[in-house]
Amino acid sequence: MNSSSGEGRHDDDSALTEFLASLMDYTPTIPDELVEHYLSRSGFHCPDLRLTRLVAVAAQKFISEVASDALQYVQSFQFLAFFCSIELRIMHCKARPAPPVKDKSKQPKDKRLVLTMEDLSKALHKHGVNLKHQEYFADSPLTGMDPSSREE
Amino acid sequence: MSDGGRESGTDNQTSSKKSKVSGGDEFGRAIAKIAVTQICGSTGFHSSHHSALDALTDVAIRYISDLGKAANFYANLSGRTSSNVFDVIQGLEDLGLPQGFSGASDVYRCLASSGVVQEICQFVSTSVEVPFSRPVPRFPIARTPKQIPSFAHVGEAPAGNHIPDWLPAFPDPHTYIRTPVWNERATDPRADKIEQARQRRKAERSLLSLQQRLACNATAGFMPAIAGDAGKGKQIVTNNPFLTPPLPHGEKEVSEIVMPNEDADEKKLSVLETFAPAIEAAKRESFPSLISEERVLPSERPHFKFGIHKKSIVVPLSSETRNAKMDSWFLRDDEKDDKKRRAEMILKGAMENPQELAQL
Repeated sequence: MNSSSGEGRHDDDSALTEFLASLMDYTPTIPDELVEHYLSRSGFHCPDLRLTRLVAVAAQKFISEVASDALQYVQSFQFLAFFCSIELRIMHCKARPAPPVKDKSKQPKDKRLVLTMEDLSKALHKHGVNLKHQEYFADSPLTGMDPSSREE
Repeated sequence: MSDGGRESGTDNQTSSKKSKVSGGDEFGRAIAKIAVTQICGSTGFHSSHHSALDALTDVAIRYISDLGKAANFYANLSGRTSSNVFDVIQGLEDLGLPQGFSGASDVYRCLASSGVVQEICQFVSTSVEVPFSRPVPRFPIARTPKQIPSFAHVGEAPAGNHIPDWLPAFPDPHTYIRTPVWNERATDPRADKIEQARQRRKAERSLLSLQQRLACNATAGFMPAIAGDAGKGKQIVTNNPFLTPPLPHGEKEVSEIVMPNEDADEKKLSVLETFAPAIEAAKRESFPSLISEERVLPSERPHFKFGIHKKSIVVPLSSETRNAKMDSWFLRDDEKDDKKRRAEMILKGAMENPQELAQL
């Protein structure tokens, strides 16, 4: 068993080394200087550039996962809204004898996909980050109170 | 990606809070924001809220810092100061535990074949390579601080055998010893008094010459309306004629304003001629004797030509006097000191006519 596991480890090691070598060809979106700056701030010391790339790629993977989750939330809502509107149109269509103008061009794809705080907080919650965002900010502590009590 | 929406709220407060929170890491944060925005764009978003991008940037920076911290801890745990790939993989496993990865439950798992590494391999092979949009310089830039020169550098002998000369030199004694400063000049009270009196006389003379120059200047001489109060019953004793209350309409009879013809032959009165008696009085310096005299005004308003052209200061004073009684124009208050009155008149004339001052 030792020999087989030894060989297995050998394969794993070689796979890892190959992967690290392939990292040098891949340019992550997060630049190396930025990653090195934050790693040195947190005490990480390694002169090997491949490890820096590994950290950069890991961070990029994390952020892209969060972003794709948020995108799913946005798209699901848009699909929901789209299908609701389709249903309403069908109901209208049945009520009136004349066929309404079918605007097939109104697809959910035409609507711009916007990253909002709500979708982001939901996506981050899946990954273990709790993000709370104020819905609105008031100008003064008295905003929204009764006018009688506001005059004090 | 463009700005997709507006946020309500006090932008000033949030921006000032942001600057306090970041604490000087603006450059790194800005670059991280650009990188995160690029990642979101490649994922498929068209636009985003500012706050969402900022939050995601914060999360990314925290992720990188936490990963570095975890890797450093694992290296220290193994008795090393510099981390290696296994420390990083263990750090990744720590951060990926909430989400889960394959093989997390194996107790004796091999790090090289860890689930996180395989996931990253998969990610690298499937994702589209989006390099950072701009070149990033090395940062932070470390400035070498200015070093204090050593004893050997300065050439001093250190103050004691126990101090080697390659240590930084001591600061100069004047930085920590207070030496009193004495006035070395010998004082002579009599000479000081004489000097004081001489300077006072000099000042008086220069004031007088200034007044003469102002008076003899032929450009517009707008004297304060002291004469206006002369006709009234009430005498308001004030220092500043401009602060006296205005006359109600019709109380004082004033002559009609006759518009001057543009006739060159017509003799125009000059300030010089009109105020010649005043100038005479100033020359004679005999103010106290003119208190009781009445003030006499010309029946018609003299027309002054407000010329802007410069005139030579060196103009001989006109010796003709219209009326000796006009000397009293300058007098307001006979209790005042002689010098004070003179200085006041000069200052008034100087304030009213900045042109003369410019010429001087």
